[in-house]
Amino acid sequence: MSETSVFEPKIVAYVCNWCTYLGADLAGTTRLEYPPNVRIIRLPCTGRIDFNLLVKGFEIGADAVLVSGCHPGDCHYTAGNYHARRRWILFRELLDTLGFDLRRIHFTWISAAEGKKWQQMVTEITEETRKLGPYTDLYANGPAPALPALDCASGEARTLDAEPELREYSRNLLAEGTVKVVVGYGAHGPVIVTRPEDAERLVWNNRCRPNLTAYLKRKEIKALGKPAVVVKPCDEKSLVVLERESQIDRNEIHVIGMACEGVGEPKCASCEDRTPRDADKSFGAAVASATPASAQPNRLAALMAMTSRERMAFWSAQFERCVKCFACRQVCPMCYCERCIVDKSRPITIDPASSTKGNFAWQIARAFHLAGRCVGCGECSRACPAGIDLGLLNIALHKAGSEHFGYEPGADALGKPLIGAFSLQDQEDFIH
Amino acid sequence: MSEIISQAALRALAAEWISSARQVFGPTAINPHTVAYSPLNSADALLLEGFVHPANSIKEVVFPRHEVLYGYRIEGNSVELLDDHAPLPEQIVIAARPCDAAALPILDRVFNWDFADEFYNRRRAATTVITLACNTADESCFCTSVGLGPDSERGSDVLLFDLGDQFYEVRCLTEKGHALFRGKTETADRTAMAVSAPPKKFDPQVIRSFVIEHFEDAFWKDHALACVGCGICAYTCPTCHCFDIVDAGPSAGNARVRTWDSCQFPIFTAHASGHNPRASQSSRQRQRILHKFAIYPDKFGEILCTGCGNCTRNCPEGLGVLSLAMEIDRG
Amino acid sequence: MEVISVRQQTADVKSVSLRFLDAERAKNFSFNVGQFGIFSVFGFGESTFNICSSSNWKDRIEFCFRRVGRVTEAMWKIEEHDIVGFRGPYGNGYPMDAWKGHDLIFLGGGIAMPPIRCAVWYALENRADYGEITVVYGARTVADLVYADELDRWAEFDRVRVVRCVDPGGQTADWKGEVGFVPNVFEKACGKCNDPIVLVIGPPIMIKNTLPILDRMGVGAASVYTSIENRMKCGVGKCGRCNVGPLYVCKEGPVLTMEQLQALPADY
Repeated sequence: MSETSVFEPKIVAYVCNWCTYLGADLAGTTRLEYPPNVRIIRLPCTGRIDFNLLVKGFEIGADAVLVSGCHPGDCHYTAGNYHARRRWILFRELLDTLGFDLRRIHFTWISAAEGKKWQQMVTEITEETRKLGPYTDLYANGPAPALPALDCASGEARTLDAEPELREYSRNLLAEGTVKVVVGYGAHGPVIVTRPEDAERLVWNNRCRPNLTAYLKRKEIKALGKPAVVVKPCDEKSLVVLERESQIDRNEIHVIGMACEGVGEPKCASCEDRTPRDADKSFGAAVASATPASAQPNRLAALMAMTSRERMAFWSAQFERCVKCFACRQVCPMCYCERCIVDKSRPITIDPASSTKGNFAWQIARAFHLAGRCVGCGECSRACPAGIDLGLLNIALHKAGSEHFGYEPGADALGKPLIGAFSLQDQEDFIH
Repeated sequence: MSEIISQAALRALAAEWISSARQVFGPTAINPHTVAYSPLNSADALLLEGFVHPANSIKEVVFPRHEVLYGYRIEGNSVELLDDHAPLPEQIVIAARPCDAAALPILDRVFNWDFADEFYNRRRAATTVITLACNTADESCFCTSVGLGPDSERGSDVLLFDLGDQFYEVRCLTEKGHALFRGKTETADRTAMAVSAPPKKFDPQVIRSFVIEHFEDAFWKDHALACVGCGICAYTCPTCHCFDIVDAGPSAGNARVRTWDSCQFPIFTAHASGHNPRASQSSRQRQRILHKFAIYPDKFGEILCTGCGNCTRNCPEGLGVLSLAMEIDRG
Repeated sequence: MEVISVRQQTADVKSVSLRFLDAERAKNFSFNVGQFGIFSVFGFGESTFNICSSSNWKDRIEFCFRRVGRVTEAMWKIEEHDIVGFRGPYGNGYPMDAWKGHDLIFLGGGIAMPPIRCAVWYALENRADYGEITVVYGARTVADLVYADELDRWAEFDRVRVVRCVDPGGQTADWKGEVGFVPNVFEKACGKCNDPIVLVIGPPIMIKNTLPILDRMGVGAASVYTSIENRMKCGVGKCGRCNVGPLYVCKEGPVLTMEQLQALPADY
């Protein structure tokens, strides 16, 4: 029994059937030798590769993951690899934010004729991974610097001047039958008002925190009939995304926009947009933040200044606290799937219970499913009972979408989605 | 005459317990805005003041959110079941709130109803609870409405009272408690002042009658509409104990696992046929109240609620037991 | 437990026969008809099914399932000698002793036959204890009848009447049974009865339509039994999932009289 055995890295390769798989096959038939460390998983197209599969590879013990497919323009299904490329550019940023070791994730285009390239890539990756050693840092705990604190105001709510007008207006809307229900803020939380006399329960103060557009997806609310919804300018952007995704008909909801002076949430400190844009009726006066957005600490920058090992430890500590209450999902206006992926049982892709792998998989799925759709309302972070910095993942993907593709969610109801669309000109520097 | 201990000595004790083979839990600052019961790696992380109630409860120590019941090894046509016989480390909770400690004897009832749940019982036996009586309450607290109070002794092995000047009165209530503090305290002529309790906010009997007699009332629909169906109330509650049993597949290790579940999730009661007896959020909200204030008391003589206020405090939409109960009691 | 045999009953229903691997356990095991067990395929999960074999059969237990989800999909693939997990028996079972001396009427629809089957076999095996036995069983189509061959064997017993039916449109060209819904077929076939015990199991709509007919026949709600189902997990009253109002189906059910069921809130 040898005392010092050489580390043999385990490499999982997700490859497309039409190009890379045939390329690997060609390597075999032309007797090109390459290390046996790679386990090939054949899929019809790189476009079919779910982002969570990459993570799954690491979860089951891979030390490196390779994803490979047809060159752009050569996809057997025409555009599958364009979708994949768009997805990989963004997902790689998310993995980096989470502290995954990007040196262990490789993307290549290898065609059916490029047996030699397959041999070369696999050989290189195997040797690189051998030098890196086993991936013991996955989900590892460890020291991590703390991020600058989030600024969250507390204290008694102060009623704002527009409250009586809001009540009067809502009462009339209901009395005249213009709407069947008003979703607004009440003394302790959201109120769903269906009778004109109950409009008295509506409030407007400087602690009206929830994003009420999240109620528009709920079947119990839909069953009540045409709604009016009270929105702050930050919530209003959710409506744009919902409309773009055909979840609401803008003509079938009555938007009551409230100009805002902040509600004491961390997002308020950097909010410069306090006037409703597209309301059917607006109330209130916008009051700018006392400190400019530029003065707020850039927490994402602080996170990315850590080493990836520290970042992984940071998130491991955060996700350890996740109890899988799914409040982040329930309060999000954009999480409206009738059956969430985490509730699907055939197959179980994400463990719905609280476990290390299950928590990472859930947070990754949640963040990535919201890429290009999250408007930064911050409800997820606010709702989380474990104080997990959920919004930071969404901010990271927002930055990625903006920097790589100039994308701004909630800007245009007719625009294309971030992930569902692609451009032939999408640029990247990491696909070999 | 009473036994007292300084905060420094208490922390030193905690450090001793941490460095021995025990698992120590207590309130700690997760971030500037969140205090939660967590495993403590150092006595400095223990938070003893500056908060009313942590964001979670201590039920995790007897009812983990993810617990392996048994493993299984499949080889061809044979299955081998693997019990986990590893001895449980001793567990000590420091500075539990009385409402969290009181949950344990309440939970004992269901976990020993007919069939004794050894997983729960083993952890319970291995746990000592040192409770820190409350000096203040916030608007979500309602322990006094369910028969408890800021200095309730239920479920506690030791009750500490903050004397205000970095000293605590130590009242050992059980042999387990004595075992931890024997010889570690000083005798003094100081006792804690009676603590002012939060006012009673509703009558649980009224809640029980209402949920039984007004099962189909429009109240449930009106007031539960704001509920978004997450699991925060159930998961941060000291007494909620609904669970699921799942087979954790190969990538997670082959084991049959018990995990927390919440009656507020839409598919909690969904049948394979597609029928769901509680298809609306209002019926699910009603179930929580029914379970806590009618079913459990009728079966076990205990209200399944200790008034900690976590559900209302943590609910992103301001619901929870207190909110609903006050609405019911108001008429 | 080890699979002795698997029988396909319909396009998506199979019945499985199991025996204990451990002889000692087999010797000590007993149950009452009407109780259920929690069966599992390791790696996929557990599922709750009535033990549909007679408690008099000491060499095996049987359960019947429809292929409808993750666990039952895995169960669909099991074969002879495979290992299936079992825990039980749970629940309260039929009060077969209390039913002694009565005529028994069994009404069932579709996949509800298995929980009726165990009681019928038990009664037939203790024939002298019970009066006339009537079984009215129907399904949507001929192909959906479960344990159809056993219906024939039951009819051979003394004072046993078996009426089978299919929904209108579900009959085949050579169908010799009745056409209609179970409640109506039952009323037509058995106009009169003499203080029977009725066990009716089926979809809610079937039960709803059967009750007035029984009422007209003078059968009180305390003499009509059913076996309700609910989503279950632990089977021992702890996981908080299966309650119908105050009643835990796994512990105080699944067998209930109509009187009990009607006293429960509309929570099922």
